[in-house]
Amino acid sequence: MNDVYQELERALREGFPVVLATVAATRGSTPRRAGAKMLVRPDGSFCGTIGGGCGEAEVCTEAMATLEDGRPRLVRVDLTNPIDGDDKICGGVMDVFVERVAPDGVTAPPGPSLPEGQASA
Amino acid sequence: MPVENAAIVREALAALNGGPPVAVATVISGPEGPVEIGAKLLLRGDGSILGSFGRGPLEAAVVEAARETLQRHGIETFYFAVDGRRLTRLEAEGQRAYEVMIEPHEAPAKLLIVGGGHIGKALAEIGKLCGFHVAVIDDRPEYANRDRFPDADEVIRGRFVETLRDYPIDASTYVVCVTRGHKQDEVSLRQVVEKPARYVGMIGSRRRVSAVLQHIVEDGAPPEAVARVHTPIGLDIGAETPEEIAVAIMAEVLQVRRGGTGLPMREVKKPKRGVAPAERVPPGED
Repeated sequence: MNDVYQELERALREGFPVVLATVAATRGSTPRRAGAKMLVRPDGSFCGTIGGGCGEAEVCTEAMATLEDGRPRLVRVDLTNPIDGDDKICGGVMDVFVERVAPDGVTAPPGPSLPEGQASA
Repeated sequence: MPVENAAIVREALAALNGGPPVAVATVISGPEGPVEIGAKLLLRGDGSILGSFGRGPLEAAVVEAARETLQRHGIETFYFAVDGRRLTRLEAEGQRAYEVMIEPHEAPAKLLIVGGGHIGKALAEIGKLCGFHVAVIDDRPEYANRDRFPDADEVIRGRFVETLRDYPIDASTYVVCVTRGHKQDEVSLRQVVEKPARYVGMIGSRRRVSAVLQHIVEDGAPPEAVARVHTPIGLDIGAETPEEIAVAIMAEVLQVRRGGTGLPMREVKKPKRGVAPAERVPPGED
């Protein structure tokens, strides 16, 4: 079992919600294939990778929003646009499914919630 | 998140830890309706399910697709019309369709390498690279040891007959007989040929392996079980060195596991993984 699954198991055991991001499908050339996973904790730290770089940052932002509102999202990460000074141009598109996984009965993340109106990214 | 989803995730984690294999289907996009985005359904090998996509034709279609992914051992995304009809991605665009991600969860497949020689050593490394649980068996201490196989999950020193007789071999085990001689290959093959391994292969020249197979049949092994043995072993890539032969063997193991054709990609009319099978065109059908 890899880090993501171990951490998922720990979250369910210890009773805190996490967000799981899974590469559902890819088209063209992408850094990771379908099935790659990243787990984001309520404090914003994460383990696993869906390929690093801008796409991952974008997914992290969506993950925090999902943690907050519980609403799963399908995030399209478009790697076809070249970025200045960055040679990691892959040229493909990844569909990443972002979902909150919480133990039974846990509906809201611990800690202070964002003020009204700033909850979604 | 529906309460059942936590139970589904728990069972999937148990499967990864060696429990019975399961496939988990998740609705990742779709129209407003009775089946929510994020809804999950778990299918077990015995056909029973956990969770629900409405008990209708959509659910039946998803269960069928989940069964397929359990056989192909890889994550796939499928598209379904609201009535359960399977669609291609292009067909799904512009209509009310569900996109469903289905991922099998199972313990790593096991590569059982019988013989710790040059090919066995290279194969152990390639097998680990490909994510297999690697076990190596040899009767010689200088070959069956941790220094020689630092990355293998198990290194077993013991006589081939007794060790293989007692080693657990199931439908996710791939057995490769690459011992130092056909005598050892023959006694090893005799032990495993009637077990439910997903793959059994044995090295050797065409002439030598047919003699081995004949001995095993004469010894009472069922001919249909003997006919399943992949021998001479590996795909034809012109391999010469032990390392190259290990690549050819691993290619055949993966081909059996994933259900590939073994043909050059440019001759295969099959899009990459992650594309719904409905969009795949079988070889020969243009």
